[in-house]
Amino acid sequence: MHKVLLLIVVPLLSYGFWLSDAFKGIAAGVSIFLFGMLSLEQGFKAFTGGVLERILQKTTDTAWKSFGFGFLSAALMQSSGLVSVITISFLSAGLLDLVAGIGIIFGSNLGTTTGAWLIAGLGLKVNISTYAMPLLVFGVLCVFQSGKQLKGIGYILTGLGFLLLGIHYMKESFEAFENTINLAEYAMPGVKGLLVYTAVGIIATIIMQSSHATMLLTITAVSVHQITYDNALALVIGANIGTTVTAIIASFGANIQGKRLAGSHLFINLLTGIFVLFFIKQFGIAVDIISANLGIAVSDNAMKLATFHSLFNLAGIVLFFPFINQQILLLERIFIEKRPAIFKPKYLDSSAMDFPETVVESVRLESIHLYENAIHIILRTFGLRKSDLQKNDSLKQLIERNNHPIEYDIDASYEKRIKGIYSAIIAFISRAGFTWEMAQSSKLSWLREANKHIVEAIKDTKHLQKNWTRFRTSNNQATINEYNKIAYQIVFHIQQIDNFRHEIESNELPLLSLDTLKATIKNDDMQMNRAIETLIREQKITPETGSSLINDAAYMRNIKKNLLKAAETLFLHSNTGNARAEQQLTLNETEINDVVQTVDNQ
Amino acid sequence: MKIEKLLQKLQAFFNTDKHKKRQHIEELRKILLKLKKKERKITRALQQIDNDNLSKHYQTELEIIRVQRKKGIEVLQQLKERKKI
Repeated sequence: MHKVLLLIVVPLLSYGFWLSDAFKGIAAGVSIFLFGMLSLEQGFKAFTGGVLERILQKTTDTAWKSFGFGFLSAALMQSSGLVSVITISFLSAGLLDLVAGIGIIFGSNLGTTTGAWLIAGLGLKVNISTYAMPLLVFGVLCVFQSGKQLKGIGYILTGLGFLLLGIHYMKESFEAFENTINLAEYAMPGVKGLLVYTAVGIIATIIMQSSHATMLLTITAVSVHQITYDNALALVIGANIGTTVTAIIASFGANIQGKRLAGSHLFINLLTGIFVLFFIKQFGIAVDIISANLGIAVSDNAMKLATFHSLFNLAGIVLFFPFINQQILLLERIFIEKRPAIFKPKYLDSSAMDFPETVVESVRLESIHLYENAIHIILRTFGLRKSDLQKNDSLKQLIERNNHPIEYDIDASYEKRIKGIYSAIIAFISRAGFTWEMAQSSKLSWLREANKHIVEAIKDTKHLQKNWTRFRTSNNQATINEYNKIAYQIVFHIQQIDNFRHEIESNELPLLSLDTLKATIKNDDMQMNRAIETLIREQKITPETGSSLINDAAYMRNIKKNLLKAAETLFLHSNTGNARAEQQLTLNETEINDVVQTVDNQ
Repeated sequence: MKIEKLLQKLQAFFNTDKHKKRQHIEELRKILLKLKKKERKITRALQQIDNDNLSKHYQTELEIIRVQRKKGIEVLQQLKERKKI
């Protein structure tokens, strides 16, 4: 679906760019703005688990505190849009919960009205876009530092810089439109005027990306009587609704919580707007009374407009602030989180709990299920599928032929294929407890260990994947060969474990076959390290690449060891006919080392 | 008749250890035979392959089987000697 959308949007955008420079500027502005959001989020993530979390926790642990935080931030930054954008990035980074986020939105709605007072009272407007350049310069400087926190600050500064730059580009590109919106020419009385001017306010704010800009135009126009006071009130209502578009744009790059917050912002401002439109006359009277008490002259429409702006937002707070929890419930219904299909346990049935033997067998079968999923992940990391294991001789060629970059998201696959099952197994074992006889308890304990080995193997694969992806497209053939060798040896090992499973089924001395697998791990490790040393000595690879290879060879060894340990517990469950006699013939560590040495000397 | 049955049971009881030893020797013999067959099979396979990795793996397997067989024969001899005593 996303790909289809992309195919439609790209030609449309390209056509738009060809058609109009202003459109190009607007699109670039939106892109820069969204990039700023991503950068901001990355920056805040650097502080998770540290100072920022503690500060935010203390300042936003109740809805009222969040409200205060939002009010102060918006009053200082002179932009409710910017506050909501930052709040969305806080939410996306998991630093805030939705209650605190909505509290901040309420606070910022009121905080931003201080701007109207400043415009009306002092004619002052803080032009935030001028801060973009120094923010970007200082931000990039910090990003290039090695410290995690400095980097984080760098990302926050560049993020803010890009946000402001994005807004700046949008404004610049809309200059032509701004000139055409001459409010004085279109005064309109009655309900029609109210609705039309609210719409104009919304559109103007969306276009200019700033309710402050609309407020500035409105207050200026009303102060010189270019528009009527009633039309100006409608424009203010429209500006308040239109300002939510900044948060909506920001939420495109945010997670579901961010989207919910943007939804909440729109919900609060839109419903407040509708409410005020219904009771516009009463609000007009209230503004007159308050203005009179504040000593504002009856003819000073600019100051009265600022009073209306504050009163209007205060009404929204009174109406909706007590219902934050209900709002969250509604938002959770509208914005449903799409979870990836997660693999569920197949064999862990609570009815099995009654019998110790069935518990052990259920856990064993489920652990095999987990093992199969782990094998899927490992094979996919190297661009292979389970069916490829049947192609005995061509495995090596298959790995070598896959010379394009393989982008496989192990983390996502872990979440999907492993985490749910692994957690269920651990929970099942814990529930079963250790109240039974020792035999069952120790079997469960072994199975738990086997599961740990499986997970360890995936973690090592993840570590290995980084260099495997990086070096496979290297210009150095020797490096590529070594990495292909690592992949081949892991896959070959998996294949051998599969054979070992078949040997158990056909009772072909599986216990004794384990010795070969153990010896092969040692042998491969020795050969690999020797090959790397030779390559460094002969200057076929750099020492840096060599050290990476040595580390990755260690990961390979651990993956193989972990898989073998897991397989030993999972598949050698039932005693084969000759198990006792077989056990007598298995080799100890020293004997295996001797075999490895002998083979090496051959 | 009853005494006869009782005597048979007693004899079986006193011969349990001997029976187990015999069974153990049989098991070992079977394993050694299987190992021998496996060794031959791998030797044949080794002559036919030209894959270095696979060849190294088979060589390791052969050497492992060789040591396991040696160990098995020693255990078997010990058991036989104990049986004589």
